[in-house]
Amino acid sequence: MAAREQESWFAVGRSLSRERSRLLMLGSFVLPLCLWALIAYLPVWDSQIRLTLSSTTESDAFPTVYVPGDHMASDRFAAFQEAVRGDNAQLTPGITPAATRRTNKRILRSLAPIAVTQGWLTADKENDYAALYKLWQTIAEGAESAPISAENQRLIIRNWAALRNVSPHYDSNNFLSDPLAQLIPQGQLEVKRPAFLPAPHEVIMRGWEDFRGESELGELHVWKRYGVSLRTIALGFFFVCIVGVPIALLCGTFAFFSRLIEPFVDFFRYMPAPAFGTLLIALFGIYDAPKVGLVFLGTLPQLILMVANTTRMLDPALLDAAQTLGANRRQLITRVVIPGILPNLYNDLRILLGWAWTWLVIAELLGVKAGLTEIIDTQGRRFHFDHVYPIILLIGLTGFLTDQFLAWFRGVLFPYTEEGASASARGAARVLSKVNPLRLRRTFQPKTLPAST
Amino acid sequence: MISPELKLPSYTEQSPEVAARFARLNQRDLILDVKRISKRFASPQGAVTALQDVSFTVHRREFLCVIGASGCGKSTLVRILAGLETASEGELLVDGKAVNGPGPDRGMVFQGYTLFPWLTVKENVMFGLKMTGHRQAVAESEALQWIELVGLIESAHVYPHQLSGGMKQRVAIARALANQPRILLMDEPFGALDAQTRAQMQSYLLQIWKQVDITVIFITHDLDEAVYLSDRVLVLDRNPGRVNELLENPVPHPRSPRQFLSPEFLAAKARLEELIHPPGDSTEEDRLPMLRMTPVGDEVY
Repeated sequence: MAAREQESWFAVGRSLSRERSRLLMLGSFVLPLCLWALIAYLPVWDSQIRLTLSSTTESDAFPTVYVPGDHMASDRFAAFQEAVRGDNAQLTPGITPAATRRTNKRILRSLAPIAVTQGWLTADKENDYAALYKLWQTIAEGAESAPISAENQRLIIRNWAALRNVSPHYDSNNFLSDPLAQLIPQGQLEVKRPAFLPAPHEVIMRGWEDFRGESELGELHVWKRYGVSLRTIALGFFFVCIVGVPIALLCGTFAFFSRLIEPFVDFFRYMPAPAFGTLLIALFGIYDAPKVGLVFLGTLPQLILMVANTTRMLDPALLDAAQTLGANRRQLITRVVIPGILPNLYNDLRILLGWAWTWLVIAELLGVKAGLTEIIDTQGRRFHFDHVYPIILLIGLTGFLTDQFLAWFRGVLFPYTEEGASASARGAARVLSKVNPLRLRRTFQPKTLPAST
Repeated sequence: MISPELKLPSYTEQSPEVAARFARLNQRDLILDVKRISKRFASPQGAVTALQDVSFTVHRREFLCVIGASGCGKSTLVRILAGLETASEGELLVDGKAVNGPGPDRGMVFQGYTLFPWLTVKENVMFGLKMTGHRQAVAESEALQWIELVGLIESAHVYPHQLSGGMKQRVAIARALANQPRILLMDEPFGALDAQTRAQMQSYLLQIWKQVDITVIFITHDLDEAVYLSDRVLVLDRNPGRVNELLENPVPHPRSPRQFLSPEFLAAKARLEELIHPPGDSTEEDRLPMLRMTPVGDEVY
């Protein structure tokens, strides 16, 4: 038997030790990740070909355009390759020389994606024919060919010979009008999980590329979008506080305003804010304003009701005490109600900020899509969930970390509350009061100078 | 209950010193004149009369305790005196002038401390001074004096949540006194404290009262506390709350805990006990409907 009785992990109504709490907190993040990994890596998923190089074919069996990154079953991929080979066997010029030139240019471009992933070409040069010309030459002359199949290598050499015959350098006025051979599609065999279930390593890699601006997202630059989203949230939340908090304070303080305003707000709360989307567009246009408007509209009723309630929860004995000390009505509000509810108001606003985030995605779909939602929406429609999940995780992480920080910061701002007892918060409060004693302390303790000793 | 075999003097017997003190007290100005105050509440069960025709007067620097069984309207009375509630009928004169509504002339100390948690001890004590328009520097030095008076100068810059119950209540007293009110209303101020702290606080309060020009109206349900602290004790009846008796406390000053067993003390306490729990009033209903659950012969007494 152990010398000391081990506390049970499941004692009713008891808190756990620090170590156990930490362990469980870690677990709460690790367990879902493990579950995800378990499902994603289980050997139950079929393998499929992921296209690295694509072509078009005249064959009726392949009416859609496939782009690199798309997936196909192995047999279908073989049929696709066969169809292109068939096309190459009987090359037909286009209806006009111009049409043929257009097709040829597309064939030039078809080499670009694989070249970009190999680092032979930068992403911005995908439509630069002079650079593409150079690329074809380099590959045809055998300098770089590792990921190009031998079959395609031969086709490239053949095509290059035809191109060079017309002009050794790209010249838009002097471009080949005879049909070139299509490159045969290439691909890699990959485990094909359902589109909604990319493996963790894929999401991490894709996220890494996306966040560094190195992926096929191209103009959907993540950090720029992120900035736009943050701005929408910040503006919406700022306006909702400016408008909502005074109303809520009035409602919480005076029964008159509570009875006059709250019933309607309570009713309004049940009308889904997105239902006003078109109205917001009619009012504010299609750019940023309606998005801010939706965050505002979605958060306002909650804020009014929540903060009004918080205000009402202020210990009425404090108001009694202040009155017996000679406070008049205005002083009751400015010296008792407001400072008295500040810590709880802060907490409410912290929760409401989370609420504002939930409206963000819907808001950004209004009018011209913007922000991170544009990435989620466009990539999601194409079932590229490996691009979508990093963005969703980014939003989640932003919200979570902001919340954790604000919770800790509460102790700094309000050293007299329970959280204020935490050592790190106390330390920060001391530093803050030294760094900026007038402004910071003033805000929360009207007309009172910091302790002089 | 004080044993009936104990031979006690009558509570009306006053030693010459005590009688002289009451004579002097009655010479003093009337500071509070309560005239036929009634208070009725509307409740779902119909109108409830909390107080009916309560009249009494208090002289300057008197210490008046108000006692009564729970629900007799003690707290309602003190809230009306503070101006936090309005009487349905009757009039309230402070220094001969009618008052309605709260004001800094009547300070109050509550059972629940009611310190402002966002202010330090010093800022709490300064609160009333600043409400009444004192300048920062004046308020600060005034506040520090009062904090020193209640012995908390070491804790002046501490927030209330770091203080013990007794210390909090001392801050509350200092805060009320800093406004230099005419009357200090105390609504069971030591009710939430443990017995030891409570005894200490009673002694502090007597010391403060002696040094400060203040009239105290002190609500309690503790008979010992009432007799120990008061000059006179106002006994309220229940349903409706009415003045039953205004008892002149025969215990001489200066007070000390040793007097708890003095004949005058016990006589006064016995009288209050009698007023609050009249003999033959509640013998039947105090019995629990208990069945014997022990074996026969296993009696404890």
